[in-house]
Amino acid sequence: MDSRLMDALAGPVPTVDPTSWRAALDDAKSKLAGLAVRRAGATRFRVTDHEVRTAFAADGDDPGGADPFAWTAITARRSVGVAAVRLMVTGAARSPLEAVRHRLAESSRWVRDGSSSASQLDRWLDGLSAAGRAAVGAEAVTWATRLWCALDWSSFPSTPVVGRDHWWDSPHSALLALRGRADVRTATSHLVVLSGPRRGSVRSELALVTLVESLRLRGDEGPGRVVGWWPDSGHLVRVEPEPTTLVLGAEAVELALGGAGTSLRSAA
Amino acid sequence: MVLVAPRPLLGPEPPGDAPADRGTGAEVLALLRGDAAARPRFDPGLAAGLRAWLEDAAYDVVAARGEHAPPLFLGPRQLLGSVEEQGDDDTTSERLLLSRLVHTLLRQLVHTGEIHDPLADALDAVRAGGIGADVRAMEALPVAARTALAETLALHARNLTALVPRFAPGWMPRTNDRVAIPLAGGRIVLHGMFDLVVGLPQPRTASLCALGLSTGGPWAVARRSLHYLSLLETLRSGTPPFRLALLESASGRYGVEDVREEHLRAIASHLAAWLAEGATAHG
Repeated sequence: MDSRLMDALAGPVPTVDPTSWRAALDDAKSKLAGLAVRRAGATRFRVTDHEVRTAFAADGDDPGGADPFAWTAITARRSVGVAAVRLMVTGAARSPLEAVRHRLAESSRWVRDGSSSASQLDRWLDGLSAAGRAAVGAEAVTWATRLWCALDWSSFPSTPVVGRDHWWDSPHSALLALRGRADVRTATSHLVVLSGPRRGSVRSELALVTLVESLRLRGDEGPGRVVGWWPDSGHLVRVEPEPTTLVLGAEAVELALGGAGTSLRSAA
Repeated sequence: MVLVAPRPLLGPEPPGDAPADRGTGAEVLALLRGDAAARPRFDPGLAAGLRAWLEDAAYDVVAARGEHAPPLFLGPRQLLGSVEEQGDDDTTSERLLLSRLVHTLLRQLVHTGEIHDPLADALDAVRAGGIGADVRAMEALPVAARTALAETLALHARNLTALVPRFAPGWMPRTNDRVAIPLAGGRIVLHGMFDLVVGLPQPRTASLCALGLSTGGPWAVARRSLHYLSLLETLRSGTPPFRLALLESASGRYGVEDVREEHLRAIASHLAAWLAEGATAHG
C-alpha cells in the first residue's frame, strides 16, 4: 500500500468560496459554448486526456500522437486491467492473475455467444491466439497488480468505483463531448493512473477531469480532488477543485480544439 | 552477500552440461520463499540517503549540460553495459531479438504455465504487443536462420519451463514491471524493468522477490542489473526487494540471494561515479 497515495485520496479537500467557484464554472461553460458554436458543421469531436496531451505536443515531440489507434497489449492493458480490479473489489476474483484470466475468458464467451456486451476490444481479444492473449493478459496483470497493491481498499468509507469514464455532452452542439478519465473514484477524489514521462501537460489533463465532473454535477457540490499517479516512479500530482483548475481545464479543451489556448501554448 | 544457493551462484557453464546441474522451479520457489519471519526491515532513511547521493550527482550533470537540455534517460544498458549490444550490428540485433523473444516466453509461462511452440508463441505475443519491427525482423529471416532461431528458442523455452516456478496467483506475479526514477526535477531519469516480481509490498518491510532473466550475458552484469533495479525500487517505494533470483535461460542455471544495503550502496556509488564522469565530459 502506498501511504502517500492513500493520504492524497483520502485527505480533506480544501473548501472553496462558492461564489468564485460558481463564477469560474459559468466562465468555463461560456467558453465551451463558444467553442461548440465555432465548431458547428465540423465533425464530431471528443476531447479526452489524449487530445490534450497531443495538443501540448503539437511541436512534434510526441510521435505516438500521430499514430492511428490500434489494439495492442499496451493499449488494451488499462481496459482489461480496470475490469480485473473491479472483479477484485467486488470479491469475484482474489488476485489480479485470476481476475484477468476471468476477464479474457469473458471476452471470448461474449463474442462466441453473440452478446451485445461484446466490444471491439472483446472481438480483437477473441481473435488472438492463446499466446497473443497471454501477452495481453500479462500486460494487464502488471497494470492491475500495481493499482491493487497501491491502495488500502478496505479503508474507504464506501466502495470505490473502478474505471468508469465520465462524459459531458455539450448542450450547445451534439458535436462536442468531453471525457474525464479516472481509474478509481471515491466520494471525495478521483485517481488517474498515468504512464509515460512527466510532462508539462499533466495538470491540464487532470484539470479536464475536474472540469467534466463540475459540468456534470447538480447543485453546489464540489467535484473532489484529482490525483495523478505514476506507478513507475510513485510520483503524485494533485489537482485541487479550485476556480483556477476550471480555467485550466477549459483552456485545455480550447487548445485541443485548435483554438488559441495562449497561456497553455506558452506553458507547453 | 548471502549466498542462498551457493552452487548455482558459482556461475553458469556453457550450454550442454549435465541436466543434473540445472535448477528446477521447485528449488527456486523454495529458495525465494525462505524464512518469512527473517525478512529484513530496512532503515526508513535509507531511500532518502541514496536519493540525496544521486541527486547531487545528477545536478552536476544538469549544470554541465545546461538547464534546457532535453531529459537524459538512462537505463541499465548505458549505465552497466550489456553483452547483447557487444559485437557487430548483425550479432547485436540477433541477440536483442532472441532476448526479446525469450522474455516474451517468460511472460507467457508466468501467465499461463505453458509454452506450446516457442517460435510461433513468441511471434504471436510480439504481434499482440504491436512491436512491428520485431515481427518484420523475424519474418524477413531466411529459412536456415529461422530454423536456427527456432532451435535456440526451443532450448531456452525448455530451460525456462524447468526453471520458472509456477507461482500461485496469491503471490501476485507480474512481469515487465517498469521503474523510472526522475532526478534533478526530471532532467535525468533512471529507468529499468523487472522481468518478474512476486509478493505484496509492505510498508517499511522488504517483502518483494524480483526475478531477472538472463538470455546469455555475463552473469556478473545480469546480477548487477538486478542490484540496479533493487536500488530503483528502493527509491520508488522506500524498500528494496528482499530477495533476488537470476535465471539463465541458455543454461538452465540460477542463483538466489538476499538484497543487502551494501548492494544498494555499491550500485548507487557506481551510478554517482558514472554521472560524475558524464558531468566532467560535458563540463
